[in-house]
Amino acid sequence: MADTEEWRRVAALSDIPADAGFPVTLGGTPIALYRVEDAVHAIDDVCPHAFALLSQGFVEGGTVECPLHQACFEIATGRCLSGPATVDLRSYAVKVDGGDVYVRAP
Amino acid sequence: MFLRNYWYVAASASEVGRKPLARIILGEPVVFFRTEDGAPVAFEDRCVHRHLPLSMGKLVGDRLQCHYHGLQYDRSGQCVRIPGQDRIPPNAKVKAYPVVERYGWLWIWMGDPALADPAKITDFHWLDDANWGAKSSYLYVNANWQLIVDNLLDLTHLAFVHETTIGNSALAEHATVKVTRAPNNVVVTRWIIDQPAPPTFVKVGGFTSNVDRWQIIDFAPPAFLRLDVGATPTGTGAPQGRRVGGITMRNLNAITPETEKTSHYFWGQAHDFDVKNAVLTEKIFEQIQTAFYEDVAVFTAQQRSLDLIPDPPQLDINADTGVIQARRILARLHEEEQAALHATAAE
Repeated sequence: MADTEEWRRVAALSDIPADAGFPVTLGGTPIALYRVEDAVHAIDDVCPHAFALLSQGFVEGGTVECPLHQACFEIATGRCLSGPATVDLRSYAVKVDGGDVYVRAP
Repeated sequence: MFLRNYWYVAASASEVGRKPLARIILGEPVVFFRTEDGAPVAFEDRCVHRHLPLSMGKLVGDRLQCHYHGLQYDRSGQCVRIPGQDRIPPNAKVKAYPVVERYGWLWIWMGDPALADPAKITDFHWLDDANWGAKSSYLYVNANWQLIVDNLLDLTHLAFVHETTIGNSALAEHATVKVTRAPNNVVVTRWIIDQPAPPTFVKVGGFTSNVDRWQIIDFAPPAFLRLDVGATPTGTGAPQGRRVGGITMRNLNAITPETEKTSHYFWGQAHDFDVKNAVLTEKIFEQIQTAFYEDVAVFTAQQRSLDLIPDPPQLDINADTGVIQARRILARLHEEEQAALHATAAE
């Protein structure tokens, strides 16, 4: 079934720190994995404002703050919560299986 | 922009003696000297009478005598003698600054003297700790102090400015970086794993194979940057906290604004291996000094650019995370200091 082929293993669960993002690529696109409580989320890693890597930003209470200009995004959805960025990040479906993290290409 | 309620390094302890030393700190002229018992003194470098710098005068016992008309000041800055005049007005007094000698440096408090607690002096014990070999020095820089802070918080420049000494291309391209922040502190941790050692490390550490190298930059306001740097042979466990078979050094920086466009740059280099070997201490120092001269050339040229077009737009890149966090802290502390000053003034 085509659906199963869309899942790509991108990391081990143990790669993802509790307090920071973990950068990976999915078909050439930089994305970042985060843990929020027991869930793993995947969102675009490049801030749409000035192209900083959000995986080098600051994770606080389910949000990530851009390391350069303080735009904030909701990790679970990619929603832009505050500027200077003005658009949301793409969010990717994630599944964890046996210690491995899979992300589904959109 | 200056922060006032902080201890700053004003001089090396050895340059202050029985001959008055003039130095501008945060835009204020200050004269330094020692009393006969060796205690350091700092006060405003301007006679209350006709504004001649008191540093042009001479010491008469523990009093500093103005070169122009012979007014004498005691260690508190109080005028205690006016030639040809018996009565001395109580306002015949220059501003005195708290000073403390520590780590081979003379520290000065430029803010409210009531807040001048020596316990707030930033720790630089590596400079006079028997477990370390160290040498410190001074550079005069024709540039704003924050340009120097920026430089030390983003060490990717080592790959380009210092490729003959402490840098190599591995630094910019093969590093993992983590920035942590607290209300008044930024720490930038950079690991370069399984890469060739840079020239200086090969010279002083004798590395013959690839190394795991670290740079841990600790920023404390207003302008103290203490760098824990070193390398061990790859695979011996330094990233896990086990540092064996390599070298650890501290690069220690205390920047004191002279004016908005000039800075006093006090710095030192300490090493934790072969600590009694003065020849080694000198060799390491000279390598780092060579690199620092290269930095000073950069600062000076940056300042010239900024003089021509002040506050130009600038691009921020990924490597700027530490720089930006530190600048935000400094801006916030400045706002807080100004707000407190205005509140006091309004009372």
